Amino acid sequence: MAWRRLRMTYLGIVLAFLYAPIIVLIVYSFNAAETRAVWGGWSLKWYAELFHNKSIMDALSVTVSVAALATLASLALGTLAAIGMHSMRGGLSQVFVQVTNLPMMTPDIVTGISLMVLFIFAKAPRGYGTMLLAHITFDVPYVIFSVLPRLRRMNKHMYEAALDLGATPSTAMRRVIMPEIMPGMVTGALLAFTMSLDDFVISYFTSVRTANLSVLIYSMTRRKVPPTVNALSAIMFVTVLTLLLIQNLREARAGKSKPKGAGSQ
Amino acid sequence: MQDKSPPSGIDDYHLIELVDVTKVFDTTVALSRMNLYVRRREFVTLLGPSGCGKSTTLRIIGGFEQPTDGKVLFEGEDITRLPPYKRRVNTVFQRYALFPHLNVFDNIAFGLTIAKVHRPEITRRVGAMLDLVGLRGMERRSVDALSGGQQQRVAIARALVNEPEVLLLDEPLGALDLRLRKDMQLELKKMQQRLGITFLYVTHDQEEALTMSDTIVVMREGRIQQIGTPKRIYDEPKNAFVAAFIGESNILDAVMIRDERVRFCEREFICVDRGFGQNKRVDVVLRPEDLTLVPAEQGMLSGVVMSVLFKGVHYEMMIDCGCGALKVHSTSMAPEGERVGLSVVPFNIHIMEKVGEACPA
Amino acid sequence: MKRSSFAAPYGLWMLVFTIVPIFIIVYYAFTINGAVTLDNFRMFLEPEFVGILTFSLWLAFLCTLLCLLFGYPCALFLAGRDMRRATLFVVLFVIPMWMNFLLRTYAWMTLLEDTGLINRFLEWIGIGRKRLMYTENAVLFGLVYNFLPFMIFPIYSVLVRSDRNLEEAAQDLGANAWLVFLRVTLPLSLPGVVSGVSMVFMPAVTTFVVPRLLGGGSFMMFGDLIENQFLTTGDWNFGSALSLIMMGLIFISLGILHRFNPDAESNGAVW
Repeated sequence: MAWRRLRMTYLGIVLAFLYAPIIVLIVYSFNAAETRAVWGGWSLKWYAELFHNKSIMDALSVTVSVAALATLASLALGTLAAIGMHSMRGGLSQVFVQVTNLPMMTPDIVTGISLMVLFIFAKAPRGYGTMLLAHITFDVPYVIFSVLPRLRRMNKHMYEAALDLGATPSTAMRRVIMPEIMPGMVTGALLAFTMSLDDFVISYFTSVRTANLSVLIYSMTRRKVPPTVNALSAIMFVTVLTLLLIQNLREARAGKSKPKGAGSQ
Repeated sequence: MQDKSPPSGIDDYHLIELVDVTKVFDTTVALSRMNLYVRRREFVTLLGPSGCGKSTTLRIIGGFEQPTDGKVLFEGEDITRLPPYKRRVNTVFQRYALFPHLNVFDNIAFGLTIAKVHRPEITRRVGAMLDLVGLRGMERRSVDALSGGQQQRVAIARALVNEPEVLLLDEPLGALDLRLRKDMQLELKKMQQRLGITFLYVTHDQEEALTMSDTIVVMREGRIQQIGTPKRIYDEPKNAFVAAFIGESNILDAVMIRDERVRFCEREFICVDRGFGQNKRVDVVLRPEDLTLVPAEQGMLSGVVMSVLFKGVHYEMMIDCGCGALKVHSTSMAPEGERVGLSVVPFNIHIMEKVGEACPA
Repeated sequence: MKRSSFAAPYGLWMLVFTIVPIFIIVYYAFTINGAVTLDNFRMFLEPEFVGILTFSLWLAFLCTLLCLLFGYPCALFLAGRDMRRATLFVVLFVIPMWMNFLLRTYAWMTLLEDTGLINRFLEWIGIGRKRLMYTENAVLFGLVYNFLPFMIFPIYSVLVRSDRNLEEAAQDLGANAWLVFLRVTLPLSLPGVVSGVSMVFMPAVTTFVVPRLLGGGSFMMFGDLIENQFLTTGDWNFGSALSLIMMGLIFISLGILHRFNPDAESNGAVW
């Protein structure tokens, strides 16, 4: 029992370490004073100011829209690619897997710089468009590596069974393959979206005219950080927390209503 | 070459015909110039060890593989290039290939919904199928929650509901345990007779083939070895491979001296076979149950009992007769080390052409 | 249409946005003003630059070691058989990862700065202010904070999937709790450790944001050096050579790690 308490304490300490800075930010977001050095009482003024801060609001909409568009594009590109790669013969499919691995193994900074050099070479003005292209590039592998295992795990006769029962190849794709790989697509899309939201390094190199949140915050930390950023952190944290909780509640409920062993596999 | 006499209920109409079908994968020949026809309402089993081309044959008929050469005819029409979804055959896959995202009802209804059958009709026909395979009441279950045997039934129902002309079954019972397999064999046979559908069945289990089939096609390395009724195949295997594969047997090198005279184990025997020529090397099959234990001095052959195993209905003894160990099944038992005699009646000495020396039929 | 052609658009995309850019980098790395040369790599051999590389490697190594040291017990406890509400705990560990990486690092700045909470606490208990920000330790601290979850999760997922019967079998064969851990649990978790180590070491050695923010630019790390060549100095040739060196390092370390991974392809040849 003492051993158990020791373990729980340890997990608690690590959690505290992980959450401490976030909690501090949230508390400061309610600080009426301009500087962090003093506590000026509770206030919501930074939240009000946040919504009037054009650069932050612009960066926010850039971040979200780039992430959403990049996710959609990489989902289409990646799912098709995974299906294609799955039906390829050994050698070619190996080449594709290696090429897909490449951006995942390449350090972000090298990916960012090489894309920057490419865009400068192509005389493409670095802004929203180039940032989107870059995000799609690093998102697609996540979709592929989420969808491909589901395709591989699928009973290889499933597609044939659909054809056998009268489905044309496109119907079989829609009614049998798609539902089968859907969980992989969702995972891939979530990963891609998260990666996109969080990206700093690659956006930093591939866009100069448009800043996403990461780039904006970076440039702020180089100068003076306005307290509105604290408010922004708090809102983002609460949003993430809510989304994750909803997701987990849904999973827990789904897990209860379904008999064991249903769901995947 | 097709030495089969149609059992009752089978008309002689050739529903499916394979003409000179050859299939080559990369460099390996899976089927070479295969000729076969299947009659309406017939239960045909393709039997052979793994890699003999039996599954490939089925997949070619199902439309999942294209033959490298040759034709597939369905009711006399060439369907070689027809995609699977336009063929009037359905398949029960080896590992069922049920759709995990659909429940039992929707799995069975899949083909009907594709064919845009009206909803009440779908409900009626799926219901009838559920009754047939004994899954009534399980419509809403997830297929992952079913036992192997139940999944098997769903797979069969899913194929049969489309009322195919031919049902193709690729080792459908392979994943089931022995008891369940035996039950399903009988059930499948009954279903086939009741529905009057042609079954083309693939298995490597000779007992299964003997139990269920009207006609057995024994295959090896992409070639047909023998086609015939179960009894015919068992009693008169065409070569040592068929003999060894179907049932247990002792296969001995022998020389056909002339018609009705064969020599093996340094002794001449009378047999009933003719037409092999004179002084020709042949194989002889002696089924273990056809060898009778007699006192040593009365036997045509004699030898020492090497081992005895109790098998329930009979004893299985290995007897060393100087020309190799012979397996004998007998209800009486001789102890290990004892010298015994063996006798066999001429009718039970089966002469076969040597494998490899036999020219393909 | 053949189904493998579904991958064609992606193939084209990768050609344009992954293969071609890398070739451009390779081109720059091996030329100066269009003339083929190895000078860019030779330049790197100067002690100043080699020093930066060794410093980056050392810091990344320390970071990985600390993450392993603190992360392994976390993973082990989370995967514990008597762990109640394990999924909730796992989610708790995931949530901070979803916060923007820069915001998290910025949060530490507010804690570590001279007038930050930690210093005020130290002052309050009488130790007095310490210089925390802009030190090597601050950078290391920030790295560990950012990458710790990347060590915990791979190990956790391997442990939680492992066959519990194996541990029982070991107990049955007379191993006590410590021996079960040492002889069964630990070796079985190695694939997770290997992927955790690569997931921490790789980004740690290439980062330039954390040292910029928490180190205040007083420590040059390899990532900074590369960024400088492209955005400040404008020496694309040297920068490209450095990028290739970094990629080479990553590939070599991944290769070494792959060797250590008993699970690699051969599938579970642990014994």
